[in-house]
Order: sequence, then structure tokens, then C-alpha cells
Amino acid sequence: MSIFRTFTKRVSAGYRKMSIQMVLSLSFTAVAVAGILLMGLSLIWRFSSTSQQMAAENSQRVLAQVNLNLDSYLRRMMRISDAVYYSVIKNTDLSGGNLTSAMNLLYEENRDDLVSIAAFDSHGDLVASVPLSSLKGDSRPEESAWFQAAMGNMENLHFSTPHVQNLFNDPDTPYRWVVSLSRHVQLTRDGSTENGVLLVDMSFVGIEQVCQDVDLASGGYLYVIDGDGEFIYHPRQQLIYAGLLEENNLVAASYPDGSHLETFQGQQRQVTVKTVGYTGWKLVGVVPTQDSDLPGLFLFGLSLLLFFIFLMAFLNFRISAYISDPIRRLEQSIKELESGRENVEIDEAGCYEIQRLSHTVRSMVSTMRHLMEDIIEQEGQKRRSELEVLQSQINPHFLYNTLDSVIWMTESGRQEEAIQMVTSLARLFRIALSRGNSMIPLADELEHARHYMTIQQIRYKNRFETKITAQPGTEGLYTLKLIVQPILENAIYHGMASAEDDGLISVTAYRQGDDLIIDVADNGLGMRPEVAASLLDENRPDVRTSGSGIGVRNVHQRIRLTFGPQYGLTILSEPDEGTLVRIRIPALNQDEAGRYQQEGPP
Amino acid sequence: MKRRKNDLIQLTILVLLGASVILSLVLPQLAQQQSEPQILSVSILIRDTDSSLWTNTRLGMEQAADELGAELRFLTLSAPNDAREQESLLQREMEGGADAAVIVPADPAALDVALTASPPSCPIVSMESPLKAAAGIVAPDPALLGENLAQALLEDWTAGPVLLLDTGGGINHSITARLEAAQSALLAADVPVAVRTCSIENLAAELDGLLTETGSQWVMTFDPSATLCAAEGKELLQLSVPLYGVGSTVQIISDLEQGEVAAVATWSDYAAGYLAIEQAVSAARGEAHTSAPLSFFILRGEDIYEPNNQKLLFPVTS
Repeated sequence: MSIFRTFTKRVSAGYRKMSIQMVLSLSFTAVAVAGILLMGLSLIWRFSSTSQQMAAENSQRVLAQVNLNLDSYLRRMMRISDAVYYSVIKNTDLSGGNLTSAMNLLYEENRDDLVSIAAFDSHGDLVASVPLSSLKGDSRPEESAWFQAAMGNMENLHFSTPHVQNLFNDPDTPYRWVVSLSRHVQLTRDGSTENGVLLVDMSFVGIEQVCQDVDLASGGYLYVIDGDGEFIYHPRQQLIYAGLLEENNLVAASYPDGSHLETFQGQQRQVTVKTVGYTGWKLVGVVPTQDSDLPGLFLFGLSLLLFFIFLMAFLNFRISAYISDPIRRLEQSIKELESGRENVEIDEAGCYEIQRLSHTVRSMVSTMRHLMEDIIEQEGQKRRSELEVLQSQINPHFLYNTLDSVIWMTESGRQEEAIQMVTSLARLFRIALSRGNSMIPLADELEHARHYMTIQQIRYKNRFETKITAQPGTEGLYTLKLIVQPILENAIYHGMASAEDDGLISVTAYRQGDDLIIDVADNGLGMRPEVAASLLDENRPDVRTSGSGIGVRNVHQRIRLTFGPQYGLTILSEPDEGTLVRIRIPALNQDEAGRYQQEGPP
Repeated sequence: MKRRKNDLIQLTILVLLGASVILSLVLPQLAQQQSEPQILSVSILIRDTDSSLWTNTRLGMEQAADELGAELRFLTLSAPNDAREQESLLQREMEGGADAAVIVPADPAALDVALTASPPSCPIVSMESPLKAAAGIVAPDPALLGENLAQALLEDWTAGPVLLLDTGGGINHSITARLEAAQSALLAADVPVAVRTCSIENLAAELDGLLTETGSQWVMTFDPSATLCAAEGKELLQLSVPLYGVGSTVQIISDLEQGEVAAVATWSDYAAGYLAIEQAVSAARGEAHTSAPLSFFILRGEDIYEPNNQKLLFPVTS
């Protein structure tokens, strides 16, 4: 039981690790192999039983034919015997007539089949014989089995088993093998009848010719025995007589007519028996059931079986691949989606269920894409809102301070300076508006910075000087709008607060590789590096006062939101040395700036 | 990765199955080629000038050749027991590519010497006499045969010396061994014996003289040819001495039946021929085989027509 469980667990574990194609192909193949094996075994069983039946039928057919031939041959011999008896012996009175000439006629007619014809009286004395006429001196016909059988059973004709004839003096001493046909006859002598025996010795060759060259299935052979199992004919008769071969003749003598299976000397064979009508002899057909071609047939069957398995396996692999490929492609598409690849094509192929599944996944992915686009759009809108908020944080400060300065100058009668400030303010706003564009030419940005500084210098009574320059290579470049002014504002409030007409704020724009650098430097008080670094910290609490650094941090955040985290501000400052704020943005021409322009408000 | 592994497994399965199909188709062809036995050429060299004495042996040989797949070449000598001619014939057959040879040695000792000097290129099966270089021997035990034949004579013996005819010329070990065994048995029974050497060609003519010279009233021969010649001589000269011989040819059986021969030590020539070819073919094919002495029996005239004797003496063949 535990073995079964272990096996089940292993199969289950293996199943979980297998691909659907492997599961399909292996299970299809296993089922097909089982089916083929079952069918093959069934066919082999059918073939085996049919071939045995056919062999039995063939043997019976052949035996029937041999029986017919043998019966015909023996009946011919019996007719000769009848002819000698009824036509010659019965019509001849031995006291005056002679049997020899009439017997000789019959002998000559059938000399190919006969060895001799002889008539004996009841004492075994020769009455007449052809072709030889003198008995051997020591022959004792009355002691012979054929003589005694004839005298013992007067009604019948008797066939002996084959034996060497031992009756007549023959100068050639041929020692012929004969089968003796004997019968009781009534001899007529002086008008009275007396018992006698008629002997017709048939040449064994005649029987041999009937029985030889009989082909049975699978190299089988035929032999003939009498009722006691004594051989009449066997294709290897002399080998058996010489003791070099054995035959199961004594057992076969006990078989009834029909087919029988027997094992003789370790060989299983089919034995078919048919009794020859009058004589009681038995024709025995022997067919080995283990065909010598069996290994060849087995290998051919195996080859056929393997070929079918090969064919089935090949077809199953192709069919399973056809079924599973759409699933595999769907899985691959989902994997690609998981890895973040866009524009993954989901193929709707395969059978109905897989098509539906692919369609559903495709719809789901489409829905997800729409949702993601919505999220991105919402994120963009949110960012634009943030930018707008950040940008709008600049304007109120500046406007308030400038207008305050204009009021102050007007009240103090400084008309020229007030006009100049208002003019600069107007120019400043014109550039700041820039038709709503967030990206403006660098020149405009620097012009904007210049007007701003003009205003501030008037306010601060020229306590500092301003130097704004754009180095060659920056022509035609665009920048995010209003990024210099907050830095200048911070420089004024922190760097120039304590200046005594010797303050200097310089703005220098130059190109560094693919970047545009705008350095805003002052020679003011400077600050500690950690304070400078904290100015850009997003987590720093907002303190909304002039030069609190909010403007600087806003510029930093705007640049990073617009161009990415690799851009923004860098503040380098040392106490009593001044401060340098470096703005780094990508160097953009008009077309490139246009793409970022789209981010801006319409 | 998994797909590639699956493809690899499937390809392996298909390749294995394909290879199995091809193997199962090719194997039977190879097996058939190997199992088809090659027809062997077997040369038969007897020590007589004609093969009439070997008719039954030949029938057995032909039966075995038919069953075992061999072609037979029967070779006789121009003079009986011509050992040199037989040796050259054997040499010629071996050079001619014979796969095996069955020989009835005319001079076993000389042939042994020749085969020791120049080992045979094919297996040789010896009949009648043993050969050292032979792969097998088909012959009755000569000593036992001689002894049994002497016992048959002793059953009939009343008085008088027995003439033992050595027709082997001192070179046929088999004849010598039979003779010596018979001689020992007779002497052991206090029967006087006289051993004389005689050639087969002159036996019929010299028999009477030998009988007169030795005063023998009984004759023993130890070779079928000698038995035939002695019987012929007896018939020609109207001699009445009982003759005890060896052999189972039709003529010897006829002589036995007619009383010219009192008893013979005989065996189935058919079986001897069959066994000789069987051993030769087995040896040529490198198969294992055993050589057991051929069984024999003593046959008297009155027993010829016993059913079992008929079967052994007169082969049932058309």
C-alpha cells in the first residue's frame, strides 16, 4: 500500500513539473501503446489459434487425400486378390488344371505393384505361385503370421506389416520389402473343396509412393502405423529401425481419429490421426506447433508493433504540440507582460477554450493598459498642478515688493527711477507671461533677470552691481521660465543684505556638453555648506519670508519635475566667501523645448 | 528552456523507437543469413575398388547428407587397400576444398603417420579403424567384436583347430584387434588356433591350402571382404568348414542364409553411414559431437528374418 502511495506521489510530483504538451503526448502515447499491445496480443492469440486450426484442417485434408490414395491402392490390391480368387482359383480344379498361367496374367498386369502371387493349401504347401515357383527349403508358410491370420479369420482379407519376403528361391536374393495381403480360399481338387490361403505380396514401394512426398504445414510429416503402433511407413523409417531416431508411434496408436496436441521429446506438436478404412492402419500427421519461423514472425510482429508505436508517438507529439502551442504562447505573452514589456501581442489561436482564454486575457490587458494610461494622465495632471502651484508662489512676492518700491519712489519724487522700475516691471511681466509658455529662450530668461535686477538695484540704491552674461554656444537655447529670478532674489536677501556698494551678483550662462549651466554667484556673506545643502531639502519646513529659500527649492523641484532627477540646483557656499548657485538643465533647442512645452498649460 | 527539454525528450523517444523498428527489421535478416546452413562438401574414401559392399552404408550417408545439408563424393581405390593411393586421394580432396572427409583407412598406421606429419585441413571421421587425427570414429569395438565372434564359434565348436585369417596385412589395426581378441577367447577355451596372413585377392584360392596346412576345421575372418571371399572359396571348393565372419552386405546375408557362413558379427551399415556423416558435418561446423562404439550383434542364418534383424539388415528405402 505504501509503495502504491509513494508511486502515486511520484507520479503526481512528476505531473506537476511536466508541461501540458508532455502530459498530453505521454498520456496519449501510453494509451495508444496500451491499445496497440492489447490489439496485438489479441491478434497474436487469434492468429495462433487460427493457424493451429488451419494446420489441423490442412493435416486432415492431406490425410484424407492420402487415405483416399492408400485406400484406392489397397482396394486395387484387394481387387487383384478377388480376381485371383473368384476368376482363377474358384474356376480351376487343381487335379486337372493349373493356376499359374492365369495368375501370371494378373501378375504381369500389375507387376509394378506386386512381388508375388501364391496359393497354399491348408498345410502350407505351395499350390501355385508367380513369378517364382519354388519355395526356399527352410520356409514354413504355415507358421507365418499372414497364413495364420487367413486361416484364423476366414471372412476377411488381412494386411501384414512390412517385412522382407522369405518364401521363394531367388538367385538374385533381392530381399524385397513387401506387405502381404492374405485371405482364406477354397481350393477345388477332384471336385471337392479344401481350405487354402491366397497370398498377394505387394511391393512396399507402392505404399511408400503413396505416402512419401506428403507436405504438411511447418515441416510436418506423415507416417503410417498398424493398430498396434507397428510402422507401415515412416519417412525416416530406417533411422528409427537403426535406433537413431524415436517416434511416438505407440502412443499415436491409441489416439482416436482427429487432431491432438502432444509433447514428445520436449517438442510440442499437433498430431492428426485418420484410420484407413479396411486395414485398421492409421495415418498419422505430425506438425510441430512451435514453428521454426516463429522467432522471425515474432520479430516481424514486434517490428510492426514498434512501427505503430513510433507512428502513434510522432502523431501524438504533433497533436499535443498543436493543442498546447497556443497555451504556451499565451503563457509566454503573460510572462512578457509581467516583465513590463509593452505592446505584447496576444495571439487568439488554438481550440475554442484557448481562444476564449486568450481573448479574455487580451481584454484584461487592454483594460489594464487603459487604466494605466488613466493613472499616468492623472499623475501628469497632478504634476502640472504642482508646477503651477510652485510657479504661482513666485509672483506674489515679487509683485508686492516692486509695487511697494514704485510707491515709495513716486512719493519721494523720484519720477525717473519710478518710470524705469515700472518699465522694467512691465517688461518683466511680459517675459513672465510669455503667452503662457513654460519654456522660453535663454535670452528672454536672462533679459527677465536683468529687468528684475534693475528693479532691485533701484530698490537697494545700487549697493551691488549685477553682471549678466551668456557665453558663446548658448545662442538659441531654451530654458524653463523664471528659474534665475528666485536665485537672484535669494542672493539679494542673503548675500547683499550687508553689502556696502561693493556687492556683486553675476549671472553666467554657458554650455557644458549636453547641459546648459547658469551660474548665479554673489560675494555676499555666504553660509555653511550644511546650511546650503539644507536649502534644497524637500522635507525642510516652509518659512514664508523673503529669501527663506522657498524660491530656490521651488526652482529645484520644478527643474527636477520637468527634466528628471539628474538636473536641478547645486549650491556651493562658504561663510564670508559668497555663494554660487549652479542651475543645470538640458541644452534644448526650440524643437526639443517644444516637447517639454506640451507639458505646460495650453 | 522547458520547451527545448520537452523537444529533446520527444526526439529521443522517436529516435529510440525508430532505431528499434530498424533493428527489429534488420535482425531477422542477419539471423536468417547466419542460420542458413552452408552446404558442406564431404568426401568419402573407402578402401575397396567398388562401393557395392558399402551400399547400405551409402544409403545411411545419403540420408544424413540430405538432412544435414551436405554433398557427398564417393571415392574408391583402383586396387583394394592401396594405402598410398588412398592417402594421395585424401590429400587431393583436402586441397580441393572438402569441408570434411570420411575415410575407411586401408593402412591406419601409415595414414596416422602421414596425418601427423601434415595435419589435415578439414575434419576427418574414420570408419572401421581408429585414427589419431580423426575428429570421430564410427566402428564397433574391435576387441569386443572379436571376442563375441569367438564365443559364437565356441557355441558350435566340437573339435579341431580354428584358422584365423589375417587379411589386414598387419597394417589394419581393426582387423588385427578383432583377430587378437578372438584368438585370446579361443585359447582361453583351450581351442587350438592357427593364424595365417592372406591377401583378400587370393583368399578364395588359398583357403583350401591354408585349411589343409593347418588342419583347421573352422575358419574365422574379421573383415567383410574377407568373409565374402572365404564364402566364395568355400562354395567354389565345396568346403564344409564352418565360416565365422564379419559384415552385413546382401551377399554375406545370402551366404549366411544359404549356410556358407555360420555366423557373422554384424551391425547396421545404414546407421554407421548416417553416424559417420553426422559426425563429419558436426565437426566441420564446429559443433560438439560424441563418438560411441557402434553397436553390433552376432547373427546366424536362422535369425535373419527376425523382425528386428530384418529392419537392421535390409534398409527400407526405395
